[in-house]
Amino acid sequence: MHVKKHNRQLTLSERREDFVKVGFLKSLLVHPEAGITIAVVILLIVFSVASPSFLTAYNIFNVARNVASYAFIAIAQALVIVGGGMNLSVGAIGGLAVVTTGYFIDVQGFSPAIAVIIALLVGLAAGAFNGVIITKIGINSFVATLATLFVFTGIVYGITKGYPYINIPKSFTIIGRKGIWGLPYLFWLMVVALGFIFYLFNFRRFGRWLLATGGSKEATRVSGVNVDRIILLSHVLSGLFAAIAGVLWVSRMGSAQPATGQDWLIISFAIAIIGGTALSGGSISALGLLMGSVIIVLIRNGLILLGVNIYFEQTYLGLIILLAVTVDRIRAFYYQRAGI
Amino acid sequence: MKKLSILLLTVVLTTVFVWVGFAAGQKNPAEYKIAWFAPIPHPYFDAVKKGIEAWEKDTGIEVKKVIGQEWTQKNENENVEALAALGYKAFSIYPADPTAANGLYEELVEHGIYVVNFGAKTTEPTPASFYVGTDIRQAALDAAEKLCELLGYRGNILNVLEIIEDVNTIVRDKAIKEVVAKYPDVHIIGEVADIKSVEEGMEKIQNALAAQIEEIDGVICTGFTITVAATIILSEFHETQEKYIRFVGIDDDPSVLKAIREGLIDTTVAQNPWGTGYISVEVCKRLLDGWTPKPDGYSVYAGHVFVTKRNIDTYFDELVNLTMDIGEGLENKNMNPPKE
Repeated sequence: MHVKKHNRQLTLSERREDFVKVGFLKSLLVHPEAGITIAVVILLIVFSVASPSFLTAYNIFNVARNVASYAFIAIAQALVIVGGGMNLSVGAIGGLAVVTTGYFIDVQGFSPAIAVIIALLVGLAAGAFNGVIITKIGINSFVATLATLFVFTGIVYGITKGYPYINIPKSFTIIGRKGIWGLPYLFWLMVVALGFIFYLFNFRRFGRWLLATGGSKEATRVSGVNVDRIILLSHVLSGLFAAIAGVLWVSRMGSAQPATGQDWLIISFAIAIIGGTALSGGSISALGLLMGSVIIVLIRNGLILLGVNIYFEQTYLGLIILLAVTVDRIRAFYYQRAGI
Repeated sequence: MKKLSILLLTVVLTTVFVWVGFAAGQKNPAEYKIAWFAPIPHPYFDAVKKGIEAWEKDTGIEVKKVIGQEWTQKNENENVEALAALGYKAFSIYPADPTAANGLYEELVEHGIYVVNFGAKTTEPTPASFYVGTDIRQAALDAAEKLCELLGYRGNILNVLEIIEDVNTIVRDKAIKEVVAKYPDVHIIGEVADIKSVEEGMEKIQNALAAQIEEIDGVICTGFTITVAATIILSEFHETQEKYIRFVGIDDDPSVLKAIREGLIDTTVAQNPWGTGYISVEVCKRLLDGWTPKPDGYSVYAGHVFVTKRNIDTYFDELVNLTMDIGEGLENKNMNPPKE
């Protein structure tokens, strides 16, 4: 019972109930995000002590910006994983949005605001295309998005011939390069996006239905929910968030590089899953997505700050991820033993 | 009268022999079956293609130009095998994998087809007749020398390397260290590597800067992706910070040229992709005409120039002149003409 409860999304009332029943510290153990959060805190302490550069304003700004960039990519993936699917074309949709933004600003001379709207619409359309193939034609999401990964990447290269768009106005880079209260605008945008995810899955019927679809598609269908529409919408949202990530990369780079998005796939899965999004569907956490992003960025940042051997970098990265996941397993073990 | 007839006959026969001889030596342009293959659309390959188009214009010989769908040896094999089936007799190829490409080349050579590597060498011994492209080691030596000069032969360098499994990365790394070792007041104080995308490059370079922001005086990049990434980071850094970090990159991506023009970075090493394309197909033609490689003539180096704010509008002319000089020197350095 406890294990079952631990493995699924907790409702707000359940969280409140836990808190009242067992107290604050023990109630922390109930939450799947607690393990990853503890791991993040440990890493923060280790890197702060080991490197004097870690807590500098420049590095904090840098880390916060990278966390935000990863979080948007992870949200795009998590939104379909939670419904029991996957989106292999996340990076390709991001690349499409990058090129769309660059093309309409640089070649067509549109204002950045209009170019961004078009790019976001392209992301929505690409997500809808994925959703329609999956729900109407009945093709598995892995196969469907693998195919569209090639389609979208081909469009990107067909339009750009591999060349970047470089005439992006300086004003457009403000979001990607500047900040407020010591943290980048990207970070605050990420907070808003994660707030949206929290709200969607805790207070909106669509979010609960998507969770239910990920838990058991057939059971949800039998209860009268239009499962196909839910899956279609999750892909539309995934496309939108991938496009937002792409547009924000243009703002950060000050140019539209056609290769953007090519390495998003692994990272999108890694962060979503480390952050507690169940690969089998039915579970997602805004805090988990944040912590998943933080831990990946912290590890990469810390390894360079500590000057580890570049040829063993991936080994260290893998080992620390394993350590973080182990901390979560320890949390789950104590949670079960405590009999909460 | 008899003398006049003999004279006329001699003139006619001489003309016929000369004409027949000429016709036998010089093939009809349509008889040359030359193909060019690049793994993916990319500004570098596009520049190589332009060199080939210029050669086509100069010679009247058409070259079949094909660009692959993904940067893998498997994809390259499929494309090139299809072209070989169409009867192409000489190939100018960028090897997707420096070792695995030799397998493809062996099969082509067994069928009497000539192969010329462009842009990157295959692992030696190789069935390829020639390599046309940049002298990797020399370019890295020159880049490191230039950075030391910019630093006034005193300061700390961040060495940014691209893909660590690429043997060329090791060649570049050794060349940089060889130059730095000559100057006792120049030190490499940081290294980042294993970078496959601009996004990853931006994150790692910024992490490295954050780690040693006070100490780093210069940055050297010896790969396309990392140069673009470093350009974005340093442009942003120089717009917001007082410190100026010296920089030497490689390749002339439009975003890099823009930053040089705006004075945000110092210089980049422009390879000669135009000349690489032009010369590689000229070598293919000569092989089909019966020319043979000289014993030490395998590498045809296409040269490189530094691009600075001073020569940014004229450096391409320098590369074209360099190409013509290399073309004229082929007979002396690399190829033996066909035996009579």
